[in-house]
This record gives sequence, C-alpha cells and structure tokens, in this order.
Amino acid sequence: MTLNAQASVPDTASDSQGMAIVARTQGQMVRRRFFRHRAALAGMILFGFVIILAFSSIGFAGIPGWWGKNYLDTGALTNQGRPTLSLIPEFLGGTGLHLGEHPFGQDDIGIDYFALTMRGAQQSITIAFVVGIVATFFGTIVGAVAGYFRGRLEAVLMRLTDVMITIPVLIIAAVVGRMMGDSGALVLGLFLGLVTWPTLSRLVRGEFLSLREKEFVEAARAIGTPPRRIIFRHILPNTIGVIIVSATLGIASAVLLESALSFLGLGIKPPDTSLGQLISEYRSAMVVRPWLFWWPGMFIIVIALSINFIGDGLRDAFDPRQTRVRA
Amino acid sequence: MIVFIARRLVISFFVLLAATFIIFVLTALSGDPLEDLRQDNSPNKDLKIADRVDRMQLDVPIPIRYLGWLGRLVRGELGVNRDGQDVAPLLGHALSATLQLVLVATVMAIIVGIVIGIVSSLRQYSGFDYSVTFAAFICFSLPIFWIAVMLKQYMAIEFNNWLKDPGIPPTVIGVLALLGGLIFGALTAGDRRRRLIAFAVGAAITGALFTLLSVTHWFADPGFGLPLIVAISAAAAVGFTVLSAGLRQRGPLYAALGATLVGALASQVLGPLLANPTWLEILGFALVTVAICVGLGYGLGGIQRRQAITASVLTGLFTGALIFVDRMLQAFNSYSQAVRGRPISTIGARTPNFVGDFWQTNLDSAGHLLLPSMALILVSLATYTRYSRASMLEVMNQDYVRTARAKGLPERSVVVKHAFRNGLIPVTTLMAFDFAGVIGGAVVTENVFGWQGMGNLFIKGLKEVDPAPVMAFFIVTGTAIVVFNMIADILYAYLDPRIRLS
Amino acid sequence: MTTPNVPIEPRKGDAHTYDVPPTVLDASGEVHVGLTLDAVRPPSEEEILRVDNLTVEFPTEDGVVRAVRGVSYSLREREVLGIVGESGSGKSVSSLAVMGLLPKNARVRGQILFRGDDMLKMSPRKQRGLRGRKIAMVFQDPMTALNPVHTIGDQLAEAVLAHELMPRKTALARAREMLDLVGIPQAESRLRSYPHEFSGGMRQRAMIAMAVINNPDIIIADEPTTALDVTVQAQILEKLLEVKDAVNAAIVLITHDLGVIAGMAHRVLVMYAGRPVEIGDTDPVFEEPRMPYTAGLLGSIPSLENSGTRLRPIKGTPPSLINLPTGCPFSPRCPLADDKCRTAEPELTETDSGGHFAACHHWDRLAAVEDPTVFFRTESETMA
Ligand SMILES: Nc1ncnc2c1ncn2[C@@H]1O[C@H](COP(=O)(O)OP(=O)(O)O)[C@@H](O)[C@H]1O
Ligand code: SF4
Ligand SMILES: [Mg+2]
Repeated sequence: MTLNAQASVPDTASDSQGMAIVARTQGQMVRRRFFRHRAALAGMILFGFVIILAFSSIGFAGIPGWWGKNYLDTGALTNQGRPTLSLIPEFLGGTGLHLGEHPFGQDDIGIDYFALTMRGAQQSITIAFVVGIVATFFGTIVGAVAGYFRGRLEAVLMRLTDVMITIPVLIIAAVVGRMMGDSGALVLGLFLGLVTWPTLSRLVRGEFLSLREKEFVEAARAIGTPPRRIIFRHILPNTIGVIIVSATLGIASAVLLESALSFLGLGIKPPDTSLGQLISEYRSAMVVRPWLFWWPGMFIIVIALSINFIGDGLRDAFDPRQTRVRA
Repeated sequence: MIVFIARRLVISFFVLLAATFIIFVLTALSGDPLEDLRQDNSPNKDLKIADRVDRMQLDVPIPIRYLGWLGRLVRGELGVNRDGQDVAPLLGHALSATLQLVLVATVMAIIVGIVIGIVSSLRQYSGFDYSVTFAAFICFSLPIFWIAVMLKQYMAIEFNNWLKDPGIPPTVIGVLALLGGLIFGALTAGDRRRRLIAFAVGAAITGALFTLLSVTHWFADPGFGLPLIVAISAAAAVGFTVLSAGLRQRGPLYAALGATLVGALASQVLGPLLANPTWLEILGFALVTVAICVGLGYGLGGIQRRQAITASVLTGLFTGALIFVDRMLQAFNSYSQAVRGRPISTIGARTPNFVGDFWQTNLDSAGHLLLPSMALILVSLATYTRYSRASMLEVMNQDYVRTARAKGLPERSVVVKHAFRNGLIPVTTLMAFDFAGVIGGAVVTENVFGWQGMGNLFIKGLKEVDPAPVMAFFIVTGTAIVVFNMIADILYAYLDPRIRLS
Repeated sequence: MTTPNVPIEPRKGDAHTYDVPPTVLDASGEVHVGLTLDAVRPPSEEEILRVDNLTVEFPTEDGVVRAVRGVSYSLREREVLGIVGESGSGKSVSSLAVMGLLPKNARVRGQILFRGDDMLKMSPRKQRGLRGRKIAMVFQDPMTALNPVHTIGDQLAEAVLAHELMPRKTALARAREMLDLVGIPQAESRLRSYPHEFSGGMRQRAMIAMAVINNPDIIIADEPTTALDVTVQAQILEKLLEVKDAVNAAIVLITHDLGVIAGMAHRVLVMYAGRPVEIGDTDPVFEEPRMPYTAGLLGSIPSLENSGTRLRPIKGTPPSLINLPTGCPFSPRCPLADDKCRTAEPELTETDSGGHFAACHHWDRLAAVEDPTVFFRTESETMA
C-alpha cells in the first residue's frame, strides 16, 4: 500500500484523524526503498540469472544439468574452437539467434568452454559466499564483543584486527591459498573467510560502541539483562543494516579476491577450475583465441557488479540519510 | 601531538612484529619446501635435500626458525633464499620499481579521485554524477589482472601501432567531440538550454582541438611551445585567483599573472640548465619558484595578501609543471625513435640497457609505468571518488555550511573553505586501508606486466615455501603501510583541530 | 457524560489571568531576565520587511510536502516579532526562505520584500549581498552551527570580509569588539579558540556576535535557546535584546515555547501546519487568544498561577503536510470543531480586538468565555 492511500484513510484506532504518521515496520520500509533502487533490482535479477544458469546447466554435486557437455571431456576442435553463439539477427547481417554446438567455443584441447566457464562460475560463487558467511560471522562476533565489553578484551581484539589490517588482504590470502588451494572450493572459502573478517569487525565494533550508550541498552542493563541477551536481542538487531550491507560488499570483493588468487596460481588448482584460473590459464591466448579470455572475465564482472549494486541498494534502503535533502 | 604520534609508532611496531610472526609461520606451513627435490631423479638427490634442510633449518621447529630470522633482521640481514642467494640484493632491485608504481598509483588516485568525487557531489543527480557513479561501480567490479591484460593488448600495442601514423580519422574526432560535449553538458548546472549550449561549446572545442592535433601530426612530435604555455598558465592564474580570492580585488590576480610571467621568462632563460638536469635541480627550481611567488603575492596582494600568495604559488608551481611536461614531450620524438617506435611498454619497469638524458630516462620510466599504474589505479580511484563524494554530500548538509551561506559568503568560499576541509577528514582514514589494497594490487599487476618487482619476489618465495624472500617483501610493504598510516594520522590531526588539541 | 471531542461549555467567571513570566523560568521559577522589551528603544513606523503570501513546497518521494502555505507578515524597524508553533509547523522553512537558504529542490512562491525590493526576484549576487549584511541569522543548535575546523576569530572575521574589503587585522579587531559586546571574556585570546573549546552558551554568544558584526537591520533567531540549558537560556535572550538595541536591528524570534515570547516580542505570529493561524500584539494574543490552538498552547505552559495544577498538552499530533485534512487543519484536535470546521478552511480574519487576526470559524466562542483554555481541560478537572 502506498503512503498516500494509507494517509487518506482516517485512522479509526485513534482520535487523531488525518494523520499520516503511518506506522510501518523497519522491514517494510527497507524493502520498499530497496525495490525502488533500480540498479539494485537489476543487479538482483542478473545475479539470480547467473546463479541459475551456472548451477543448472552442467549440474552440481552429482545432479545432472541440462547442458549436454561437461567441463572435463575433451573433443575434436571444430572451426579452431571458435564460439558458435550468435546474437546478431539475420536482418542485421548476422547469422540469426542461436547457440550452436559450442556457444562459448572450445579450449585448446577441445573442452566445451561454456561448460568450463559454468564450472568456474560455480566455484567462484561458492567460494565467495563461503568467504562472505564466515567473515561476517567472525567479524560480527569479534566486533560485538569488543564493542560491548570494552576494556582489555577490546584492546586485544582490536590489536588483532590491527595486525590483520597491516597485512594486505591479498598477501595473507595468497599464503592461505597456497596452503589450501588443493582442498577444494569450500575449504579454500572457509580459510579465506578466516582472514578477511577484520574490516567488518571494525564496523560492527563502531556501531556497538555508540549503541551501548543508548537509553534502551542502559535500561536493559539496569533491569539485569545478561550481556549475551543484550548483545543478541537488543544491540545486534540494530546493527543488522551495517552487517548485511558489508557482508554483501564483502561477497563481491571475495569474487575478485578468489579470481586474483587463482590467476596468480595460488587458488583453485587444475583440473578443477574457477573463473580466475581460466583467465590465468589462457592469458597468452588473448591474441589468437580472445574468447578464452573474454568469457570468464565477463562473468567475473557481471557477478561482482550485480552484487555490488545489490549492496548499494541495501545501503540506501537501510540508511537513506545520504539520499535525502535536508532543510 | 608528538606524544600521540610516538604512541602510535610504538603500537605499530608491535603490530608489525606480530604480523611478521603470523606471515612467517603461515608461509612455512603453506606447503612442502622440498617438493621439487622429491621429484628430482638426479643421483645426488639426497645430498641436495640434506643441503636444503640444513640451509632452511627445516629440522628446527618453526617458531625457533622465526626467532632466528628475527635475530638476523635485528642485525640488518634479510637472510638467504632456498638456493642460498642473499635476499637483500634481490630486494634492492625490486624495491624502487615497486615503490614507484605504488606511490604513483596512490598519489594519482587520491588527487584525481577526490577532485572527481567533489565535482560529482556538487553536481549531485547530474548526468556527470550518474556517469561517475556507474563508472565507479564498474571499477569496483573489474578484476585487476583482467583489465591489465586488456590494457596491454588494446592500449599499448594498438597505441604504439597508431603512433606510426598519428592521424585521427574523422569518425574518431566526431566521437571525441561528442564525448567532450557530453562532459561539458553534464558538468553544467542549470536548465536544459544552458546544458545544450554547454554541450555545443564543448563539442566544438574538443572537435577543433583534435582536428588541429591531427592535421599537424602533433602526436608524432608533441610539445606545447611558449605561446601555449603562457596561455594555459594565464588561464590557470585566473582560475586559481577565482578559487582563492575572487576577482573583486586586482591584487591577487596581478600576483598570479606575475607568476605566469616569471615562469615564461624562466623557461626561456633557463633553457641550457634544463637540457639535462637532475631531480635535485628540479627540486631546487621548485623551491625557488615558491619563494619568488610568495614574494609576488606579498608585494602585490594588497588587502588580500594571504589569498594572493596562495594564488601565485599555485600558479607558479602549475607553470613549472607545465614546463616540465613540455620538456618531456619535446624529448618524446627522440625517445620514441630510440625504442623503435614503441614508447608504451608492456614488459618490465625500464628498457634494458637504455641510456638517455634526464628527459628520456623519465619518459622511459613513464612509458613503463603508464599501463601498470592505470590498471592499479582503477579500484583506488573509484574508492576515493565514492568516498569523497559521500563525505562532501554529508558535509554540504551540515549546519555550519548553512551558517557560512547565511553570512553571505560566495558559494566558492563555502565550498573551498568550509566544506572541502571537513570533507577531507574522513577521507584520510581511508588512505591507510587503501594503501594496503594497492600493495596487494601491485603484486598482481607486476605479475601481468612481467616486472621483476617485489610482488615477483613474494610470489616466487611463496610458491617455493621459502620464508626469507616472503618476509623481505613483507618487512618492506608492512613498514610502508605503517608509515602511510602515520602520514594519514598526521594529516587527520592537521585537518581536525579537535584531534590535534586533545 | 461527554466525550472529549464534544466541547465542554465553559463556565463564566472562571477567573484566570495569563501571568506569563517574562522569558523563561527555571524549575523553581526564579531566573528572571533583567532586560525587557520596555527597556530598549521602541520600534519605528518604518516597515523593513514584508512577507506576502509565502508558500514553500518540497517535492519528495512520498508526495509534495507543503511546508509553508501562505504566510504573510511585516516587520518594522527595531520591532521584535515572535513566531510560535509546534515543531514541524513551518517556522524554520519560512525564515530560511527569507534568508534564501532553502535547499535547491524547494519551490518558493509569494513575495519577500526587503525595503520594498522583492528578494525572490533579485539576482543571486544581490541576494547574497543582503545575507549576513542586512539580514542575519542565529541558528538553533550552536553545537553544529559553527565550523569545527576554523577558529572563532576566523569565522567572525570572514563574515565581515564577505561584504567589506579590509585587511584581515581590521576584521579581527571588529570580531574582538563583537565578542566583547556579547559578553565573552578574554575576547582577544578567544579569537584563536576553536568552537569545541567553547560551551554551548558561549557558542551561541559567538553566533550572535557573528550575526550582528555587520550591523544588520534584521536578525532572524531560529529557536536560539532551545538547545541550551535553562539557566543559560535567559542570559542568551537578554543578550539578544541588548545587541539588538546596540545595532538597532529588528528581530524575528522563532520558538516553540510561548514563555520565551512573552517578555521578548512586540507582536506574535502563531503558526500551525504551515499557516499563520493567529497574529497580533503580544498582550492581546496572550490574554485573549481567538484561536483554539493558541489557547491550547497557553494552557500547556507552566506559570506561577497554575504551578499547582497539571499541565494540559494538546491531544494528538499535527497533520501530515503531504496530505492535509480538508477544512481547518486543527480540526482533528480541536475541542470546538464542528462540520463547518471539517469542510472549510478558515481565513485569517480580524477579531474583536484591533489588529488581532485569527484563522478560526468560531473565534467568537473563545471571546465569550473568560478563560479560553478551559476548552482543553480534561473532564475531571472541569468537574472539580
Ligand atoms: N528539505 C525538505 N524536504 C522535505 N520536507 C521538508 C524539508 N525541510 C523541511 N521539511 C518539512 O517542512 C515542515 C516544516 O519544517 P520546519 O519549518 O523545519 O518546522 P519548524 O516549525 O519546526 O521549524 C516539516 O514537516 C519538515 O518535515
Ligand atoms: S476553525 Fe474550527 S477546528 Fe479550526 S480552530 Fe476554529 S473551531 Fe477549531
Ligand atoms: Mg525549526
């Protein structure tokens, strides 16, 4: 229901007719503002499409997909492995809309490049989400504990985050990648999450520091509410906006981090693959077979961009301050 | 203030120490340092293994190995790598190339990012603002190695090819003119008519400029020449005066134009000195310029003496930079011939065995730095743009900006004096974070462009499970990050008296 | 039994005087202002500002916010005009319109005549020339109104330099004088202080100094004491009167607190939902309010007389400015409202006392009782 419609209906519950102070839950407002953010909406649709495409086409975890080929079978090269995908309709001088045998082409040993790219996308998305979840979990806990209890615990935790911030993320991630690259996407994601949480913990700590002084927290403390309950029931729900937004942006940067590691040869190892690994493997093909380079790159950009837009929409939705004009 | 810095230094020292321990242990644990030898089939395999175990102290627990490394570090030794080479000389070569790359990228990102961010915030919801926002999101989402490879392919190779016959086809000029018009139009505030006029003017100017550059084959042998230098510098003088003092009084304008004049004279008189200077001499010229301009501002400023000094110093330095660029451009033709017509390089940090004068060597560095720093800069540029835009928007909504307007200050003073400085405060906290990010990016960029820099040292060390080079890399970059942090802190304190005085 | 919405017939002879103390009282009712309006020079007949049918609208996501709807008033030299109303009634927006400081998206209509010149039609440059020189403003929150990164002296001197070319030294000397005038001790060294080194009261004094530094004709003070301690409030108001007299300025004093107006303003304008609903000389408006909203406000302030009884705030909240109710905007909260009130919006009309206008269909019913606040009493009180 729109504001106007609601406002014109007299509020029978109170005697103050014609008021437009419409009670709306925080959730409703956030949702409304998010869906008004066109780029975020587009990002969400695009990202949903990529996920469905990547996971349904070649199948996942033993479930077969609808795309006939897989990312391991080699085959004979047709037309030097050029992509058969055509998007230009005939009346514009193209060959019409069709996928063809190998829409994204084939690599040098004849593996279907569409299947390979989809596998890469699956791995990259999986890693990014695992990183996002693990980092958000630890970042939130550390930030909350440090912000709420202050004192020595805070000092220790903050020095710990200082240490983690002095080490560039890529550096520590590279070391972790060297260690865990062979163990598959889930393990790699888990360990990368374990080294990327400090950014979030700083943010959460900041929020906790200001919220813990608020009246409602004082009140809860005064009536003897245990700290754990105050943290989880009273403060955390108020920081959820910050956490969700930075978790989203964290996932986007994890996509890029993973691909950079794999590009350096410190992430996912062959025969398994990821988007970054594909680019790394075919970087010298740029001149002769540019499609081997283009497709995975496009997918990285589309995934990262759409998640970034979603994050921006969430930020506007949770914190509309920036977008409003003040008197 | 000094106590504050000292405290921060002590803390940073221990933080760095803890970080070295973490990196050392993780690196040592990250794989099997004997992997390559185990697959070795040569008869003296066992000997080689024993040799390496001994050299890398693989039979000693890792923490003890760390202490050993630390002990050597205190004595100023960086240790040897697994093949027994001393790490220090390896580092020495890598260091300057990488630091150059990282610093150029960071400084450029800060300056350009902040300027774009501010303009974008002052033109909120304009076409320019939307384009900048969209471009920033694209930059956030670009894998740095991907863009690096693209730049290498399309910028360097194609550009070098084009330089052989640097004419611009009419269609390209048309597109460029269109772009120029769009930028002008998007930057103009006001109703549709004003924007259309701005578009037309912008398109015409850009089109004419590039047509001229094309028919004169300017790109084959570029340069400004004295008249153009004077014209640009005078325009800058007016601009700086408007920004710092306004045009109500003549004093500041005369001082700034005086700086233009002195600059132009100097460029002619100092000709021989500028033929093959050193960096030290350039620095000396810059200092003399500042001194002269302060004098000009002081003498001609009248009532607005302070603003006049600002305007003339800025003009003086700008003109100096212009002359510097002009010299570089003049050297371009000879340099280009020296490197067989491929001035934009895609490999390494300098042309091997290249010898030239000051300008040519600088061009060589610039040619090698151009693409890697372009790739490296994108993410930081986007970050600074977004951050300073948000910060400025927030500041422009503050009560004290309204107070400044209520005093009747012109909008220029409101922005420059009241909003800008406050808007920069949160941006300083970003600097430290971003710098660490740039170092990470540099590792990737160096890899794409085949630089024998620190990133290479690190990656190779890591792949070989060899802590010494990895630690050497980290000691340097970690220290750089700490120093940069410190600079950011000092800047913060300078900008915000609430910190400075407490 | 009557429900609260049905007006209670007032009883005649319920003696009540609005003995509103000059300016504010602290909790014990002891802080009085030394300087009152009577002690400063009286206004002249010369009109310096005339606001005519001013409307301000903000287009927003949710609809058009009609923040100010047809405000008109005039201001004479040296006069103090009080503007009162609940928060959100459009007081700040209407005064920012006079300053030309509204955000860009605001749609402003009407006329704002400064000495006969329409400020809305002036070139921006000319408008800027008036701002801070002829019309100055003191804002509500001194904690945020001063720039934290520049010294007080800098910010004061800048206000002079914006309009007059002179060496910085001279401007700083003037700033020092002004700090003296507003009663900041050690003005010389305070010039080099930063705002965060000042207390709230001191900052507001500095703001006042900044406002009068160019000898303005009009000072607009937007709730200048709302953010301050009660004990400081009286001092600041007194200072405002004092400097006004020193520079011969008129004041538009905005407040949501009727108590502040009483000893401070020659005339008072009451605003509700973006409209002026009552305007007149301070005494008649306070003693014989002719608009139920004003009466309600008067019933909700503490005074020496009613210090023993309960305060009676007006029930309900102001209407949405996006979707105004039809008829009188006060009708949902008004104990006198009837069908006419709910269908037709009343115009400002002259009431029984001269120069006293009210926007109410039933002002005569207030005139018929001795104590108009009686309409806002709760049942139990009326029974007692
Ligand atoms: N820039 C703006 N955009 C939208 N609404 C605004 C803006 N500025 C003020 N308003 C609205 O205008 C109304 C009047 O505000 P204001 O004049 O500040 O009230 P007050 O009487 O408390 O000073 C309020 O409802 C406020 O929400
Ligand atoms: S017009 Fe009617 S509703 Fe409005 S104030 Fe007067 S009596 Fe009340
Ligand atoms: Mg207000």
